[in-house]
Amino acid sequence: MSVNAKPKPVARKPIQWIDLRGRRVGFWAYLAMRLSGIGLVVYLYLHLVILNQLTAGPGAWDGFVALARSPIFLALDVVLIIGLLVHGLNGLRLALVGFGIGVPRHKTMLWIGVALAVILSVLSALAIFSKG
Amino acid sequence: MMQKTLTRERASSWSWILQAITGVLVIVLVGVHMIFQHFVAAGGLRTYADVVAYIRTPFFLGWETIFLIVVTWHALLGVRAIALDFGLKRSVERVFNWILTIIGVGTIVYGLWLTFTVISRTS
Amino acid sequence: MTMTRHFQLRIYRYKPGSDPHYDTFSVAMPDEANVLDAIERAWDDQDRSLMFRHACHHASCGSCGLRVNEVEKLPCVTPVTDYPDGATLTIDPMRNFPLVTDLAVDAAPLYERTREVGTPIMRESEPLRENGLRVLPEGIADFNRFENCIECGLCLSACPSMAADPFYLGPVALAMAERALAEPRGIDRQSIIDLIDDEHGLWRCHSAFECTEVCPSNVDPAGAIMRLKRIVAAKKFKKLFGR
Repeated sequence: MSVNAKPKPVARKPIQWIDLRGRRVGFWAYLAMRLSGIGLVVYLYLHLVILNQLTAGPGAWDGFVALARSPIFLALDVVLIIGLLVHGLNGLRLALVGFGIGVPRHKTMLWIGVALAVILSVLSALAIFSKG
Repeated sequence: MMQKTLTRERASSWSWILQAITGVLVIVLVGVHMIFQHFVAAGGLRTYADVVAYIRTPFFLGWETIFLIVVTWHALLGVRAIALDFGLKRSVERVFNWILTIIGVGTIVYGLWLTFTVISRTS
Repeated sequence: MTMTRHFQLRIYRYKPGSDPHYDTFSVAMPDEANVLDAIERAWDDQDRSLMFRHACHHASCGSCGLRVNEVEKLPCVTPVTDYPDGATLTIDPMRNFPLVTDLAVDAAPLYERTREVGTPIMRESEPLRENGLRVLPEGIADFNRFENCIECGLCLSACPSMAADPFYLGPVALAMAERALAEPRGIDRQSIIDLIDDEHGLWRCHSAFECTEVCPSNVDPAGAIMRLKRIVAAKKFKKLFGR
């Protein structure tokens, strides 16, 4: 590589992908995708495991449903919806841009996605807490 | 020289193409899933009897099965993308791909078993 | 009358054998100055052991890339008037390159990657006029933005995938690949496509667009990468459907 001894220290460690300093909006979208994606994978498996309660019959299931109506659970549901909206709306933008469509307007798409996510999150939260 | 440290034989655009396609499908699949689970059901959540009746309906049985397959696929492709970001060696990557494939198939098999069990309950 | 601004330059220091730390220098700069002038003033007046790269001082050599207050910049064209009088400017070397000393990084990763793509930007001297104005290749304006690249490395510093994956080709080489595909001039197109259509090529890009944000030469590497993704994906589909 270089003529002299290997330079130390190496200014790059893998964890530095998450270096938050000096970042602009495109990076925040990328970070949001990654965090929401991980969160949703965790949720997916939690959900599948919980559904196993169905095999324990009506008693067990209805017990779970009662729990699912508690305010904490509903609040977590809202978090889930926010995660889905962020990941899905930004994902649509990435699907377009990642096939070379609309690249110069990617920031516009990003902000539209954010606006939609905020609006739909608020509407979902209202719907969830009113229906109980 | 980088050429020696890396083997660049495999073409891997399919991972991205599938990630994008399954992602768009998930938006539609999860949207309908949410609507039917929470807005059509009285009180927003189904009782046990409601669940059994729902999953016995052929359209929803089909929809939820496709949803399970597509969302698991998208989720594990995503996990793979994150792991690959950290520069796995080719041999490690191959093992990792296999592990994810097994997890994915296992998840789908579990989901299908669960569905079948619920459908065939007589009580 | 020239206005003067006073700054505290908090500069990253590292000499082999000792620990990294920050040294702070007070400088007074006229409004016409650029940040590089301020660093040079600190070097000249206060600490001759400060090491930093610089050459042309007008954004065409690409030597002086570093970070000012965490943001990738070319200090030779960053005016001090961007910062208020009395400000503290934290000066760091670029990310994702091995550090040699102080603000000077080892740029080898950049050149290793461009070499892999074949470094196709050497234009032989071509006459401007040949029976009238020479006609450029069709559609070249869509992809010759790369010819503005000064190989400063700011894009590699800003890219989060470069941080995580030591093998990632990175924005420079990928934008260069688009240029090579558009006008190969002897380079085998398929070999370039095979090179970039790889887990450590195009597909480690997750569209953060940080590279385009920091590029001082308007190269738009992110745009080049997205166009390449379309080209490569389209090829895949065509192969699948047998065309």
